[in-house]
This record gives sequence, C-alpha cells and structure tokens, in this order.
Amino acid sequence: MSVLSANTRRDLEVHRYPLLVYVLVPLAALVLQAWLPRVVGRYVWFDLPLVVTIYFALGRRSPIQGTLMGGGLGLFEDALTHHAIGVNGIAKTVAGFLAASVGVRIDVENHTIRILLNFSLSLLCSGIYVFIYRVLLGLDLEWSWLTELLKAVGNSLIAFVLFPILDRVQIRD
Amino acid sequence: MESFFSRYRNLLVLLAVLVAQIVGLAVQVRRVDSGRSTLDTGDGSGVRLIRMWTNALITPPERLIHSSKLGAGSLWSNYIDLRHVREQNRQLQQTIDRLQLEQASLLEDARQGQRLQGLVNFQEKYIYATLAAQAIGSSGSDQSRVFYLDKGSSDGLDRDMAVITPDGIVGKIRDVFPHSAQVLAINDQTAGAGVILESTRIRGILRGNAAGQPQIVGILADQRIQPGEKVLTAGGDMVFPRGLPVGVVEKVVRDPDRDSFIHVIVKPAAHLDRLDEVLVITSTQPHFSPQEQQDLATSELVKGPEAAAIKEQKKASAIMAEHLPGLIDPNLPPEKQPLLDSSNPNGVARPPLPLHPDRFTPGTAVTPASPTDSETTPQAKPESAETHPGAKPKPHLATPASGPDHKTAPATQPDSSRQATPQRNP
Repeated sequence: MSVLSANTRRDLEVHRYPLLVYVLVPLAALVLQAWLPRVVGRYVWFDLPLVVTIYFALGRRSPIQGTLMGGGLGLFEDALTHHAIGVNGIAKTVAGFLAASVGVRIDVENHTIRILLNFSLSLLCSGIYVFIYRVLLGLDLEWSWLTELLKAVGNSLIAFVLFPILDRVQIRD
Repeated sequence: MESFFSRYRNLLVLLAVLVAQIVGLAVQVRRVDSGRSTLDTGDGSGVRLIRMWTNALITPPERLIHSSKLGAGSLWSNYIDLRHVREQNRQLQQTIDRLQLEQASLLEDARQGQRLQGLVNFQEKYIYATLAAQAIGSSGSDQSRVFYLDKGSSDGLDRDMAVITPDGIVGKIRDVFPHSAQVLAINDQTAGAGVILESTRIRGILRGNAAGQPQIVGILADQRIQPGEKVLTAGGDMVFPRGLPVGVVEKVVRDPDRDSFIHVIVKPAAHLDRLDEVLVITSTQPHFSPQEQQDLATSELVKGPEAAAIKEQKKASAIMAEHLPGLIDPNLPPEKQPLLDSSNPNGVARPPLPLHPDRFTPGTAVTPASPTDSETTPQAKPESAETHPGAKPKPHLATPASGPDHKTAPATQPDSSRQATPQRNP
C-alpha cells in the first residue's frame, strides 16, 4: 500500500511544463487522432486526446485543470465527428477530473499504476459515451464492447510509450 | 459561504462544466413524431461555429502532413522511379486511340438518347461534372465514419453532393467549410443510400453497422439473394445517380429485431478505409464542359469515319444474320440439331443454364397430360413438331442442353425420351 500512496514530498510534487507543451501536445493529439485512421484503416483502437488528458491531469494533480482540459479536448473531438457536440466532452471531463483526483492520492510516477489508470478510465469513458448516447439522448447506436476493450488496451500501450517521453519535457527544480 | 466555494471548488467546476455540456446537448437533439430522438441534420449556428473553429484548427496541420507525404511520394515517383515510362506511354496512346473510337461511336447514341428522354419528359441523372479532391483527415472515431476533403465551398462543393471513386460510391458531403468539406461515408450508421441488387432487382437502403460494414436493411428474407451478387445505386435518393457500383453481397444475416427481415452485408467496391483521391459529382445536368466538347469534337474528327464504318459493318452483319437459315432443323432428331451437336467443332454457344429453374424457365413447363397421350403413336410427335416449328422445338433444345448431369429438369425428360424413341427405332 505504501507503493500506491503518495506520502513523500516528491510524490506530491506538481509537474510543470513549458507553455508550448500545453499547447502543442493536445493539438498534436487531436491532429494525429484525425489523421492516423487514414493510415491504420479501420483499426482505430486508440484515443490520443484521452491519453493526453489523463497524463496532464495526473501530472498537474489539479481536478479543475483536468476537468477543463478533458472537456475542451472532448468538445474538439466531437466537433470533428457528425455526432452531437458534448458527448465526448462529458466523458473526458469526468475522466480528467477523476484522473487528477486520483493523482493527489496515489504515486503517479509508477508506470504500472498509470497504465492501469489509463485502461480503466478508457473503459469508463466508453461507458459514459454509451450512457449519454443511448439513455440521456435516446439515440440509436450500435456498439461493440470488444472494440472498446481493444481501445482501452491500445490507450494503455500508447501511455506506456508516451508518458516517459512527456516526463522528459517537464520543468524540474 | 466563501469557505463553501473554496472547499467544494473542484466539484462545483466539474458540475458547471457538465451542466453546460448537457444543456448544449439538449438543444441539438429533438424528438420526432414517432417518439424517438434524432439529431438535427442541420447544425445550429452555435454548433456550426464550433465545428468551423475545430476545422480551422485541425485542417491546416492535416493538410501539411498530407502534402509532405505527397511531396515525398512524388519525389520518388516523378524523379527516381521512372522505369517503364516509355512502355506505359505507348500503351496509354493505344488506349486513347481506342477510347476516341468508342466515344465517336457512342456520341450519336447518347444524343439520340437525350432527345428521346426529352420527348418522354424523363430526365435520367448522368454524371456530367466531377471535381477531384484529396481525403486529408477523418473524425478519429469509429462511431463516426466521416472524413474530410481538401476542397470546400470556395471550390464549388455543396451539401449532399455524391462522392465516388472509379471503383464505386463512397458517401455524400454532409457539411461544407470554405476550404474543406466533411463527407459522410456509406458505412456510417446514420448514412442512407438507395440501392438495388443487380440480378434480383430487390431494392433497399444501405447504411453501416457497428463494425463499419455497409449493409442493406429493411428487406424481406429472400432465398434468391446470394453472396457475390452486385449491388448498384438505385437513383431514388436524390444524391447518387442510378447504376453506380456499390459493392457485392458478402453475406446475408437475419435482422435481430424483426424475424422476417434480413440484413444483406455488402463488401464495398471502394476502399472506404484507405481513401486517397475521390471524385465529387458537382453536376448531373446534361451539359458538356468546354473541355469535354473539345474532346468530343476531336474524337469525331479523328475517329468518326472509322466508327461509322464499323457501325455499318455491324448493321450489315445483323441484317445478314436475320436472313440466314434457322439453327433448328425440324427434320433432324433432337440430338442431331446443329445447336446441340457436340461433334461439330464450330458449334454455336449454348445459353447458360439457369441457376434455379422454376416453372417459368424455358423448357421446363409441364404439358398437361391429354387422355390420348398414352395412346399416341410414336410417329405422332415428329409430325406435330413439323406442324408447329416455332412452338415445339423448345423442349427439344432445353432437354439436351440441360445435359445428363442436370438434375432439375424432370418435366422435360419423359417428353424428350418419348420423342427420341421413334428415331432410335424407325
């Protein structure tokens, strides 16, 4: 349990990044999310904006920032589709808030924990998406949970590679 | 009070953001008469503004990535990989010659067709103008099968224009921005295109399923629908002109919601997952662009006389064929007919066997047994064949054409055996 809990000063440290990283990384995530499906075809088993939201929410440990970043990226994602704007926004708002709230309590430097968080928050996002679409809005939507499971695995793998790279660009004291 | 806000600041911000988005969602969805909810097809001004901003933010980097990819590709193909160009050039020149000949030959027919359509006040939609565009991006979600083109309203694109490739249809333009356009692919769950099965002539509506496969929905179970059958556009949806290839039937599955209905899964003719260059049909009005008119004039000038000569030749052949003697000799037994004589190396091509013969298939009709049938003398049948040469030869032809391995022509077998008997025992 001591591994999980954030009880040292270093664990509770708020990560800071250059302003350019805050702008370019989410933008790159959105652009790549829109462009990569043309390369990989139907295998869109990843959600880069969600991975980036979780990363910054965990690093900044601020639920408000996580909420706003998740909401903003989700709205941009929705705007690229032909669906209602706000479905992804709500899902990622919740994901950002939860990731930041969890980041206050556990050791987010641990890779295994970050990847597990990515996996579970990806599934949660999918669940919220279906709930809003089918229950809240009452719209028809066929759904494949296998695809969502694969997407959660894909997000975890991307996080495994991307998080250490982004860790390198943070400002250290 | 201040401590309450500072204490629950995070939760309050979360609630505020969520409520704002839920209210935003509520204004985009409306309830239709049937009680179900539906999304407004035309975005409101606020929603459209968000989409436009996002498009303005995302499209330029996508365009940059795409053009750099194209630049690297063209560097290779235009400067480095130039082998076999002369050979290709020669083949292309031959193709141009052939196409000019065909165009000159078809031009008069096309003009006549248009005149006739005008006479009967029937306007068929043909593709008269297309605009080539590059697919530069997608929605990034497998729940929304839309993609973006690098051309927009400034290039003459508009909503509901059909998007195709030379292989088949792709989708229709859903939204247009100044320099880009959003295309709804045919494999999206909200897409809809009127289609028709080529041989069975069954009509249906094509839309996508959760796996991104186009499927024809809302048709009754029919045994005649088989994998491999071609699917074409039906032309009734005001988007796609009639007769464009859609794909082939991949499989037929039961509709999980309605027992007597089926879903026909279609393998699309166009590669929907790997689209690069597409054509947008910008006009279906019967007019030719100056370039097309120039091409037609060139074809007529260069190949017109040649095409006319070929046409005359074909007409003469047809007239001659009409005056040639028939291929059915009533004096010969069925197995010696020229059509069926296997010993003749220059035999005539036989008509293809029906896949599912029924009572309407030529040669399989059962003649009601007359009371005198059993008493008919062996010589009686050939006489009747001579009396009605137009009516009787059909069973003669159908039975041997079906062949000994044809298992579904029981009605003709006894008839032919009865007729063959007197020939064997004169």
